[in-house]
Amino acid sequence: MTGVVLDRLFGELCDDPAHAVVTRAREQGRRAIGYACSFVPAPLLSVEGIFAQRLRAPGTCGTPLADTYLSSVGCSYPRSVLEQAMDGRLDHIDGWVMVSSCDPMRRMVDNLRYLCDPRFCVMLDLPHKKGPHAEAWYAQELRRLAQALSKAFGVDTSDDALRASIRRHNAHLATLRALSELRKKDPPPMSGADFHRIVVASFTAPEDSLRSRLDAMLASMAEASGPEKRTQECKRAAPRLLVVGSCIDDPRHVEVVESVGGVVVADRHCFGCLPGLEPIAEDGDPAAAMAAHALRTTQCPRMMGAFEERVAYLMGQIRAWGADGVVLETMKFCDLWGVEGAALVAALRDAGVPVLRLEREYAGGNEGQLRTRVQAFLEAMGR
Amino acid sequence: MMGAAGEVWWAGARDGLVSASCRVRNWATIAHLGASLGPRRLRVALRKHPWLRKLLLVNRLQDRLTQSRCGAYRQANAILVSSIADTLREMLEGVFLHPDLTVVHEDLVPPELLFGMGLRPWMAELLGIVLPMLDPRACEPYIDRAEIEGIPSDLCSLPKATLGIVLQGQMPAPRAVVSSNMPCDGGMAQYTIWERKLKAPLFQLDVPYDFYDERAVEYFAGELRRLVAWLQEHTPGRMDWDRLREVCDERNRAVEAQIELWDMLRVRPAPMAAEPIYLANMVYVVARPGMRRSTEVMRSMARLARENLEQGKGALPVEKHRVALWNPPTMMFLDLFAWAERTWGVSLLMDMITFHRHPFIDTRSEDTMLRDLARIVMQGPMARHTRGPADNFFRDLFHLVDHFGLDMIWMAANVGCKNTQALMGMLREKCRTQGVPLLVIDYDLLDARVESQEGIRSQVDRFMQTVMRQERLS
Repeated sequence: MTGVVLDRLFGELCDDPAHAVVTRAREQGRRAIGYACSFVPAPLLSVEGIFAQRLRAPGTCGTPLADTYLSSVGCSYPRSVLEQAMDGRLDHIDGWVMVSSCDPMRRMVDNLRYLCDPRFCVMLDLPHKKGPHAEAWYAQELRRLAQALSKAFGVDTSDDALRASIRRHNAHLATLRALSELRKKDPPPMSGADFHRIVVASFTAPEDSLRSRLDAMLASMAEASGPEKRTQECKRAAPRLLVVGSCIDDPRHVEVVESVGGVVVADRHCFGCLPGLEPIAEDGDPAAAMAAHALRTTQCPRMMGAFEERVAYLMGQIRAWGADGVVLETMKFCDLWGVEGAALVAALRDAGVPVLRLEREYAGGNEGQLRTRVQAFLEAMGR
Repeated sequence: MMGAAGEVWWAGARDGLVSASCRVRNWATIAHLGASLGPRRLRVALRKHPWLRKLLLVNRLQDRLTQSRCGAYRQANAILVSSIADTLREMLEGVFLHPDLTVVHEDLVPPELLFGMGLRPWMAELLGIVLPMLDPRACEPYIDRAEIEGIPSDLCSLPKATLGIVLQGQMPAPRAVVSSNMPCDGGMAQYTIWERKLKAPLFQLDVPYDFYDERAVEYFAGELRRLVAWLQEHTPGRMDWDRLREVCDERNRAVEAQIELWDMLRVRPAPMAAEPIYLANMVYVVARPGMRRSTEVMRSMARLARENLEQGKGALPVEKHRVALWNPPTMMFLDLFAWAERTWGVSLLMDMITFHRHPFIDTRSEDTMLRDLARIVMQGPMARHTRGPADNFFRDLFHLVDHFGLDMIWMAANVGCKNTQALMGMLREKCRTQGVPLLVIDYDLLDARVESQEGIRSQVDRFMQTVMRQERLS
């Protein structure tokens, strides 16, 4: 690693979605629109007057309130979000934009409406397929959302305003992408956990509030990392891992994976660099562009008939990032990842890729077990 | 004139005769299957698909569903079991004799279009539904197989058992597979493994989240058109719109009989209950719509209900309680209601899988047929409750309470159904607000190792004694 110290703000935003940066933005009259999940285009929620915050529930120790309604046999991410909505920790969210991504998320919204009755709560109807028909459908959903936002918050969601927002968002993504690309170096200039902090923080605060810090970070990283120095022998000593999974938004979790000698160089999950950092088309119909971006770049197992495409994508990324192995993390009680995980493990092993499958809860924990599993995996890989 | 004792004797003899004749019919059905396949093909089929042996238990199933019932109600159950056995024979003959025309379809994708194209539908989840009816433990080895292959143990046991059959290599090989995003994530996701294992082309229909508007009908009718084109490309099937029209007309006739039956159920005591309502629907409206036999069975159920109604008789000797069962029926304990009837006088009148508000299919043009089929698929049993907002789940349920004058709701809380588990808190509160007693049966749909039949009986007993404050009838 290069020794570049990560700005403390990134870590603080990971721990506290209602951080002072967020509070300040709201005091300036901007409304926070909480959203989940990756299919919701952030630029639509980042026009002048509002800003997007990816819904998270860090610091959740238990979900006794949410369990009463969602039951304890459901994915712990929506349970944690509902818990925090019920106990007031998400009161800084002025509007909710959700998507019919999976059963637990849909039911979380049902219960949220029943229990908390948020003033603004929109559910986007997301197709389970790719292709022109699905994109046309979803673009129409986004137009509906744009109208609803305009009506509820008095913001300008005209095509011009959306195109401007897309341009700003693309600039933000370009910085993240450049940071991410640096990790292709060996050794990477930053740990997987630090990169994760940057991404999670940028999903939490208004994008413009982080711009100068991100630019500075990119400049210092690029300067410090320099050309690749390691020899082939050295490369063998630091196994490069690609983390695959769903909702991983706690950098400490990645830290544990890295604490036993591996380095996470790429992350194919909802808060990672793959996919999602690709730019959105800036010309033409903005709703159509955002719909196309959401449906064409997604690698979520909720999309039907795209498994082989996902495997091919993952194999390509393994090669591109020089990953030695894959850590597949599936959330307990997630049916989509549960079935996908079984098929994916078989496909990766068939292709000769070492893979460790872990089942986890949203709130993390079990660090000792996790460390042991990863350590054993690295040993099995011959590292 | 026959005395009271004579009438009782004659009723008993008639009941015995009904059972005996259906028993003979069931053996004839099995013999028929063997004869059509021929000894060599039958031997191969038995070796590749050992679950076929479970069909020999059909008379045991018939006994379980008829022995505690009498009169028209018993006759309805006997006819139903025999008809299902014969329908299964037809389907198996299709699979083994015409594999090239066989298309697997997910249980919530009705097969009218396949019939219209001259294809042989095989319902993907059929074995997961039928096998535990015949033998409550029949699916356990398949569930274990799926879990060994890395499928999470918390997945609903219906897709898990179905996957286990596929992974075990015991699923008949189809020409193509048609599924959808219904009814839940697990049900949808399983087809990734189907596709990889069977190496059969797969088409998945995409049902919108919000499906009660014309925009959704338009989108989904488009999906059906794309399905027809895809099937024409991947199978020998060719759409014959006139044949589809006949299928849809036949389906309309069966539904007409079903609605007549439902109307009669509003009377106290209800002239029919349980399996002739829900099992008949499951097989003849959901799995085999549009067949002549489906109409005949539905008409028989309505006719026998009418017979009771005209004599002022209920299906049960003593109807003390009227119940709706929410969520799919307890397949690993199919005779739950046969037991509940004689123990507590509980009459099952409606359930989630059965109740629908489907339109009759308008057969005037290709477009009207596709649009009504789109509505039927999107608003199909269970699918409309597990998709869309929570209101879809509750609206039907409380409508049933009023419409059929129900005393209570039994929620079959399949532990693997995360979708409906996440509505339990709301359901409890809504039932409390509306003053409707709610029994939540904790169990697993197909796996008696999670909760045994005895355990389910205990849950019912405790509810009836402590909440309903009732005494056992027997």
